[in-house]
Amino acid sequence: MSFDQALRLTSILLATASFIGLTLGANLPEWLVLLTGSALILTLLKTLGLRPIGRLETYTTLSATTWNILLVIGFLGFWVDMLWISGELLPAGVHFLLILMVIKLFNLQLRRDYLHLYAISLMAILASAALTTDLWYLPIFLAYLLTGVWTLLLFQLTKKSEDTAGPATVISQRRDIPESQSCVTPQLFWLANGLALCAFGLTLVIFFAIPRVSAGFLQKGHGENLRTSGFSDTVNLGAIGPIKRDPSVVMRVELPDRPAHEMGRFYVRGVTFDRYDGKSWTNRLTHRRVLSERSPGTFTLRQNQSRTPSSLGPALRQTILLEPLDTPVLFAAPYAETVSGQFLTVQSDPTGALYLPFPSSSRIEYSVLSRVNLVLPADLQPQSVSYPESVVRHFLQAPVQSERIAALAREITQTKLTSYEKAAAIEHYLSHNYRYSLDVPLTDQEHLLEEFLFARKTGYCEHYATAMAIMLRTIGIPTRLVTGFLATEWNEYGNYYVVRQQDAHAWVEIHLPHSGWVMMDPTPVVSENAGGAAPGWQAFGRMMDNLRLRWNRFFVQYSAADQLAVVRELKVSTASVQSRAWDSLSTYLNPVATSLGQATRYLAEGNLRLLGAFFGLTLIGLGTIIWLAWKRPWTRGSHSKMEAREEQAITHLYKKMIHHLEQRGIAKPIATPPLEFIRIIHAEWNSASSTVATITDLYCRARFGHAPLTKEELLLAKDNLRQLMLLDRPKSAARPC
Amino acid sequence: MNSTQTIQAIQENIARVIKGKPHVIEMTVVALLARGHLLLEDVPGVGKTTLAHSLARSLDCSFKRIQFTSDLLPSDIVGVSIFNRQKQAFEFMPGPIFANIVLADEINRTTPKTQSSLLEAMSEAQISVDNQTHPLSQPFMVIATQNPAEYHGTFPLPESQLDRFLMRLRIGYPSPEEEKKVLDRSQALHPAEDLQPMLTAQDVLDLQGQVDKVLMEESLMEYLLSIVQTTRQSELLSLGVSTRGALALSRAAKALALVRGRTYCLPDDIKELAPIVLSHRIMVARAQGVRQRSFEQAERIIQDLVESVPVPV
Repeated sequence: MSFDQALRLTSILLATASFIGLTLGANLPEWLVLLTGSALILTLLKTLGLRPIGRLETYTTLSATTWNILLVIGFLGFWVDMLWISGELLPAGVHFLLILMVIKLFNLQLRRDYLHLYAISLMAILASAALTTDLWYLPIFLAYLLTGVWTLLLFQLTKKSEDTAGPATVISQRRDIPESQSCVTPQLFWLANGLALCAFGLTLVIFFAIPRVSAGFLQKGHGENLRTSGFSDTVNLGAIGPIKRDPSVVMRVELPDRPAHEMGRFYVRGVTFDRYDGKSWTNRLTHRRVLSERSPGTFTLRQNQSRTPSSLGPALRQTILLEPLDTPVLFAAPYAETVSGQFLTVQSDPTGALYLPFPSSSRIEYSVLSRVNLVLPADLQPQSVSYPESVVRHFLQAPVQSERIAALAREITQTKLTSYEKAAAIEHYLSHNYRYSLDVPLTDQEHLLEEFLFARKTGYCEHYATAMAIMLRTIGIPTRLVTGFLATEWNEYGNYYVVRQQDAHAWVEIHLPHSGWVMMDPTPVVSENAGGAAPGWQAFGRMMDNLRLRWNRFFVQYSAADQLAVVRELKVSTASVQSRAWDSLSTYLNPVATSLGQATRYLAEGNLRLLGAFFGLTLIGLGTIIWLAWKRPWTRGSHSKMEAREEQAITHLYKKMIHHLEQRGIAKPIATPPLEFIRIIHAEWNSASSTVATITDLYCRARFGHAPLTKEELLLAKDNLRQLMLLDRPKSAARPC
Repeated sequence: MNSTQTIQAIQENIARVIKGKPHVIEMTVVALLARGHLLLEDVPGVGKTTLAHSLARSLDCSFKRIQFTSDLLPSDIVGVSIFNRQKQAFEFMPGPIFANIVLADEINRTTPKTQSSLLEAMSEAQISVDNQTHPLSQPFMVIATQNPAEYHGTFPLPESQLDRFLMRLRIGYPSPEEEKKVLDRSQALHPAEDLQPMLTAQDVLDLQGQVDKVLMEESLMEYLLSIVQTTRQSELLSLGVSTRGALALSRAAKALALVRGRTYCLPDDIKELAPIVLSHRIMVARAQGVRQRSFEQAERIIQDLVESVPVPV
């Protein structure tokens, strides 16, 4: 490929990389994406030499004036966009940038135009950097860097060749430059890619070393918070249902203390509700208290400290990465004791729900220490109970028209003596006699619960939990409704739970006189993902999710504090840094090891098809790499590197021969072609003519016929040259020159 | 028999009739393989007609001869539509141009009108008569002769029309020994009648196809173009070589490479062919004091110019 063509190609690829970056980062209007995308594809195809495109262009060539008019229109459009349509500088600027790019793409003629295109691409990639903090930016940036290095190299190289070639002596000048220097050689190919990689390495160093202010600060106001439901003060019955089909990720939960193989269902508690009016649940305990800060960034809930440790379960430590949501609730496993994270304040309500002062607009990471309440033996004995006034006021309320429900509850629990047994009986009754389904038609707005319990007998978590809560309340057991998430998706590559919108869940907590609040869930376990994707794809998805988490943790959230920490650690001891490096290396190697282990497990389970696909893909990949290395499509045509090298070698030998003959008094006139020169030698120095003829023949075959020479033939040529050098030209034939 | 041997055999076949002129025979074959037409310019009686005749006989191709005179009309060449009484319609009677090898003898004796009808057929490979287009048979080659010695009553071909010929050749007198061999031969029969056809028309088309596949290296194209460029810039010439001339030289060089048994061109091919392919396409400047266009002088100028163009190494 010649330099000019390669420069054109890399310039367009550079623009493409920045365009993709912008498309993914900014919410561009579809017509603009289509316009720019098709302009890029068109110019790319034209550069690659597709003839119909070139022909198409000759029909639709616009004059320079037309382009200028278009530019002016685009500029006016920018003002209109900024003042009325988008109303903001950044999106309007991005739109105008893309318009400029399209116009430039169709006007790539002078070197100045190329420079303009580079400037536009740089602005675009900078804009997309400001607009996003997602993982995909990394490959885009890499591609941009790679093409950028290529473009700069080629830009410089073509400048040189343009400078050396004068206008009048183009042909004669170019003949002096060997063929290999005016096209992309393998050496240049690897050099450029190596440079790009070096630049990327340097970028990484700079990223970690230069003081940081904030990451993605322009992202605020553009990225929309995830809409949740079920965590405000009032929740209508049936509000959770619609989001049960939304697969967007809400949070990721790491459990550092628990071994991976113990992972089952994991409850993440959100908020609780105490009042049900027949249609919706309301939280009346809205008084929020600011938590005291024990040490910087660590907040403690005091409510559990008065209790005896014997009633508490084992401590559970969680690290939660919460996506930006529209609710200020901080989720945690029941029941949170301490919260630590980069918060100014954390609030809690009397039921133990945690809140931030306002919803966060970016991802936040925090860790929580929780302990569940154990059911104490005292509560398993029959006894007469009296609850405190506050509990009675809030957690024994029931809507008026629930006589039928109360009757059902009494019927189920008539043989049971203790509160706990009664609750367990109702839980068992609900989870075994009712069908779980998300397809619940809204028929009777007034008697939702009666309809669920007696008519439809089909519903989802909210219906089950509400039914249980109301039934328990009618027989005098204090109960409250809890909303949160039930995590079931375990990511084995990163060892964390992925919690999605569709994992939203509701369950109940009952109050036992001695143990306190105890969790119960009447919703039956549903076999999830019945018609989901193939296991291979799921594994791939989990792997990507893990990468995304690490990207977020190590790059996006890498802040000035982290830099300080790194410096401090460097100071403390190199050894610890080494061990840390080893640790982090092993965490990176872990997915590979686990996936290898999984592959063997698949083999053991007889999952040969997946394994076959895996090996097939690996083989195809390897084959492609070998083919690329063998064929080298980047060198010109089928003219392989070896041939080019032989051609250079034999040309070199031929030139040496000419030089030698010149010293012996037979100069080759510049206008004498090779075969004619043999005849001259034949006439002038007969004994040398056979060796000269042999070398010339090989030279002609390789140089003008592009025929591959064998090693023996090259050696033959070298031998002949040596013989020629040893030959003495007879004195009689030598002419003075 | 591979293509090189075939080409060799055909040359030897012709050489049995045309004595002592291997170079002329080789160039004739080159013109045939390059799908070109040949202009033979020489004094009468050196074997121009015999060369054309023996080429046609060596190929299994049809051969027609047109003797150009001042009263020859275009319809005498391309054919004429005649009213057929039985069918009550005009019927096209093909003229002598409908043959594979056409010998246009003494082409400069006829009027420009008739000349141009032949030249159109040469470049288009088809004939249009009465709004009907008749394709000519393939391969199609015109061998035209013209007589430089006689200037009375001739209509010299203009340069633009000479351009249609791939090359202009001179045969020249044979050496005394070769001439003696000619005299020795039995005169009972035309010598070309003895020749046996070596190739079919299809074989010729295949060989012509092989010429297209001959490799011309990029630096050789630049070499060729710089020769053409030199003729355009030279002060000795008032008209340089056209792009059609450059194309002709490239095609001829490829054909010569095939004839010489190579699959790639060498600078030698281009240099050797340049005088005979280019010399009839140029106009020598009047300042050089030449009264008439002289074949020898044009050839010499081209040769001198080629000697100044560096060969790629």
